[in-house]
Amino acid sequence: MTAATQGGAKASLWEPSRLLRRSILALLLTPPACLVFLGLAIFFWGPDRSEAFFVPLLAALILSTALGWPLAAKLRHQLAALARQRDAFYQELLRLSKSASLGEVASSIAHDLNNPLAIMREEAGWIQDLMKGGDLQGSHTQTEIANSLQQIDIQIERSREITRRLLQWGRDSAPRTETVDINLLLNKTLYLLESELETAGVTVAKDLPPDLPPVGGGAPELRQVFLNLMKNALDAMKARGGTMTLATRADAAGLTITIADTGPGIPASSLDHIFEPFYTTKPAGEGTGLGLPISRWIVEKLGGTIGVESKEGSGTSFHVTLPVQAKKDAPGP
Amino acid sequence: MTRPIRLLIVDDEARLVETLSKRLTARGLYVEGVHSGADALALLQGKPFDVALLDVRMPGMDGLTTLREIKKLQPLLQVIMLSGNASINAAVEGMRLGASEYLLKPANIDDVLAKIEEAFHKKLIQEERLAAQHGPGA
Ligand SMILES: Nc1ncnc2c1ncn2[C@@H]1O[C@H](COP(=O)(O)OP(=O)(O)O)[C@@H](O)[C@H]1O
Ligand SMILES: [Mg+2]
Repeated sequence: MTAATQGGAKASLWEPSRLLRRSILALLLTPPACLVFLGLAIFFWGPDRSEAFFVPLLAALILSTALGWPLAAKLRHQLAALARQRDAFYQELLRLSKSASLGEVASSIAHDLNNPLAIMREEAGWIQDLMKGGDLQGSHTQTEIANSLQQIDIQIERSREITRRLLQWGRDSAPRTETVDINLLLNKTLYLLESELETAGVTVAKDLPPDLPPVGGGAPELRQVFLNLMKNALDAMKARGGTMTLATRADAAGLTITIADTGPGIPASSLDHIFEPFYTTKPAGEGTGLGLPISRWIVEKLGGTIGVESKEGSGTSFHVTLPVQAKKDAPGP
Repeated sequence: MTRPIRLLIVDDEARLVETLSKRLTARGLYVEGVHSGADALALLQGKPFDVALLDVRMPGMDGLTTLREIKKLQPLLQVIMLSGNASINAAVEGMRLGASEYLLKPANIDDVLAKIEEAFHKKLIQEERLAAQHGPGA
């Protein structure tokens, strides 16, 4: 066997063609060599030459171990490195998609905020108009001014509600060790999409029983998952409205979250591809094809599973199952 | 002076419609306001307007769909799209569908007025051209 480059981080380790060449060589050599030695062992088999039998057998064993074991180690090493690389890739995707979805959320919130701002500007402008008109003492003018001022106050309150929503989005980056109240997280995520859902004519049905067991950590990542799934549901129903259902259920398998829509469904031919990175059926600029692969990666990192059920013409349900946090006597991290 | 500009405001923010109407009426326009695309279309069935201020994002029928229907009912009506976010997509799409201008919320009243007047003149020119095409006998 050629001198193995031990020590992991060398660039040549990443060279798949080298790995392949080496694997093929070892695979080609090992069986015939072993066979030759086994043949010798059989040839020497007999009552008189019993001690000679062990020599080739030993040689066969040594050879196969010498060739096979480093190869197995090598393959294991390569697989681990590939897994690390894939994790780094998804981490980067997650970071990118977070800023992308924050951008979308920001644009939606900017829209929500610009309406009260527009009203305030007109109310202030109306007061100015009245002041320019002269007669400020008239009772009609007085009521008009009072009314506009009151409206400005109403719109400030409305704006404050919107900024509070934005702050909440940024805030709860709880560390991984903390437990997550899934229903709360679903509601908070929903809150962000509320006005978009309303504009699209989507009603929301919730089946979120209280007293669910908490899941162990990953709140910011899970929020990303729920946002991805809810946005997909919203996109699916944008054309003609519908119902988005959020449901949670705890059973032996863990905690299952269902996000379902009454959109057009996913054709069987696409169903196999939706979790592939960059697979999208949405126009450029609207779809990235990253929502589902990132969601699956996050859920699997947290020890859970994600699945989909879809029927063309009647809708789609995504199910996320997460392991629940053990009872209170769980050892601290 | 020419006849007053007949303006239709379409926005689901009722209070915005109300106050903007008051301010533009005070500036010599004839203004009516409605709060949905459907109401706008119902009104336009029987009543001519010169210019419409049309919100892009509304529940029910959205601004772009409304625009398309408006153009079927009154092809010469000049539509100014009102957008709550600087989404260039909706603006471009609106222009493609025949809107003559767009404004971003919160808009300045002087800009609003200037765009409305500009749109009104565009409409007058288009009307004249049409009249010329159909000849004096029409
Ligand atoms: N709820 C859904 N209804 C219908 N199709 C869906 C739904 N969720 C996902 N899809 C399909 O899966 C594709 C990939 O989804 P995703 O990974 O989130 O990327 P994107 O939303 O950017 O296209 C979508 O383009 C769409 O075709
Ligand atoms: Mg998506």
